[in-house]
Amino acid sequence: MALGGFANRVARINLSDRTVAYEELDQDDARKYIGARGLGVKFLLDNGPETDPASPDNMLALVNGPLTGTDVTMSGRLAFVTKSPLTGTVTDSHMGGWSAARLRWAGFDALLVTGKADSPVYLHVEAGQVEIRDASGVWGKGIHDTVDHFGAGKGNSTDTSVMAIGQAGENGVLFASFLNEDDRAAGRGGTGAVAGMKNLKAVVVKGTRAGRYRPEDREKFRAAQGKHLQLIMESPVTAPSSVNDDGSLKEGSGGLSAFGTNVLMNAVNSIGGLGTKNSQETQFDGANAVSGETIRDDFLVAEPTCHACPVACKKEVEITDGDYKGLKMESFEYEPAWSLGANCGNDDPAVVAKVIDQCNDYGMDAIEIGNAISMYMEASERGYVDTPLDWGDGAGMVRVAEELAHRSSPIGNVLADGTVKAAETWGHPEIAMAVKGQAIPAYDPRAIKGEGLGYATSNRGACHLRGYTPASELLGIPVKTDPLDWDGKGPLLKIFQDLHAFSDSLDLCKFSAFAVGAPEYAALYESVVGLPMTEEDVMTAGERVYNLERYYNNRAGFGGEHDSLPSRFLEEPGSGPAEGHVCELDQMKAQYYEARGWDDGVVPEAKLRELQIVG
Amino acid sequence: MEIRFYATLRPIVGGRSVALDDPPPTVGELLDRLCGDHDGLRDRVLDEHGQIRQFVAVIVDGRDVRHLEGLQSRLRPDSEIDIFPPVAGGR
Repeated sequence: MALGGFANRVARINLSDRTVAYEELDQDDARKYIGARGLGVKFLLDNGPETDPASPDNMLALVNGPLTGTDVTMSGRLAFVTKSPLTGTVTDSHMGGWSAARLRWAGFDALLVTGKADSPVYLHVEAGQVEIRDASGVWGKGIHDTVDHFGAGKGNSTDTSVMAIGQAGENGVLFASFLNEDDRAAGRGGTGAVAGMKNLKAVVVKGTRAGRYRPEDREKFRAAQGKHLQLIMESPVTAPSSVNDDGSLKEGSGGLSAFGTNVLMNAVNSIGGLGTKNSQETQFDGANAVSGETIRDDFLVAEPTCHACPVACKKEVEITDGDYKGLKMESFEYEPAWSLGANCGNDDPAVVAKVIDQCNDYGMDAIEIGNAISMYMEASERGYVDTPLDWGDGAGMVRVAEELAHRSSPIGNVLADGTVKAAETWGHPEIAMAVKGQAIPAYDPRAIKGEGLGYATSNRGACHLRGYTPASELLGIPVKTDPLDWDGKGPLLKIFQDLHAFSDSLDLCKFSAFAVGAPEYAALYESVVGLPMTEEDVMTAGERVYNLERYYNNRAGFGGEHDSLPSRFLEEPGSGPAEGHVCELDQMKAQYYEARGWDDGVVPEAKLRELQIVG
Repeated sequence: MEIRFYATLRPIVGGRSVALDDPPPTVGELLDRLCGDHDGLRDRVLDEHGQIRQFVAVIVDGRDVRHLEGLQSRLRPDSEIDIFPPVAGGR
């Protein structure tokens, strides 16, 4: 019996010989690895962990989950999975918007791209077929122009979605991204760089809601989805926001819905967890100027959303004054507001908006570029570079972003290879704030210690989304833990990592975890896929996916020595409320490896068998 | 003493912060006074038992009072107070 939710159709696209082959989904893999992230990593593992990420043999997998494009709330996400040219690990990066749903509505669970085209191409996906078409007319264009070229509108105003790379991907910037709908990114890990190396400019998908999957057991589905939606609507974090006639927020509006992810800016700063000036400090006086509250009060013009999502955390802003007057953009998120704000000593929201929009148009990871620029500023302060850039130099930041995307200056060219390689080029690797080659996100490991462990042990390089311990350390989900206390963070992190690995495989938006948990995920899976699933099964499946990734990385040459943090977080105390604190990584790692059952970062054979990863 | 408010709490207190000339000695007494001064604040910050609501963060000098002495946490005249409704994000 075919599993519910899936289209049971996968396209293998070889760009070297321009062929497309179709196959059914491997049902056993789908049962074990759920979908999206988990299945994507399995496709990559089968393709060979030893593959050079820059070679045509590397695979770029676009993979849906069994819930994608259904009527399940927050089911509008798509996983891009590949071997990262930035980290050398397997990586998965997810985008919201409508592309995921349309890909499923067009009849596919996955597009698996290998090879390299001899000239620029794009994929046209419609009604169960994939065509490889000429993209020479859009090569060299930014993402905004590319989206316009293919006639994709915003949101559900059209039947067409465009996922594209910009100039950064074409130019081999190692942290280049894929975006859809102008502003929604699969941001991390260089998925856009891999596409550029394949001469793949875009994936254009046509599909309508008529193609969505309708679960067979309607009553069971309605019950599961009804409970899921109810909890999201009632959560003080995710409850949809609305306004009174005078524009003020109505009572009951959730913090995430009303202010977007950037509602965290002041909260993290208040506890001394906001890395400042390339993480030399941990509290920023200018935080409020670039916070979600200020953005809503002074710049908000619209609140678009993704497929099947009432939360609408995206905030579209317009800059109304100064050098960037007239700029309209989306994705003024917490992460780039930090990386381009506090971390660069910059409190000008217009500059943050401008550089985010450059990232969205050129197709670059905004976390990575903020770290690259802040590291360049520190190098300038310390006299390591000949062409200095001062803290908070907004015009300089915009210029560097431009040069970086096009590799058009010596500094831009060096930074385009990521912080670690750039710092090594300058002879000062200690100023790169990165793990496994990927730059850190917006939670300082000295003030939020579970996140420090999360960065170190993430399978895709420094990442907050692998195991979001701030839910516990800041908010109190499922229980409040002290962000300054390291003890117990190993087992806590494992729970978050396994839960997120499951939701990323469904593929449900991770923000659902602020309102629902394993019981609701299990009920949704059961009602759509048609297989029994318990809360315990959810955690086991998530653990299996996390170990599968680790197994891939072990075979690619990664071990416990790579589960590290920059020495700054281990030796240089934070400031403000984090004064005197460093990150006790070794103690947390020992607890974490014990909870995982790993031998110094390596998955032992017995664990692989226990989780049925090997037979 | 300046007490700073954030996100959905700002409209309730009518601004970003509230100043008190004669602050009380504990967090519990401070919250009681603030809730008495601002309609609607009590329901957002305290539960039916008078305890700080789940997911609400009252930060004193950079420390969540859930990791201090809770409502009995002592205040100094120059203590910095930040009060957040449930906030979370991630991207």
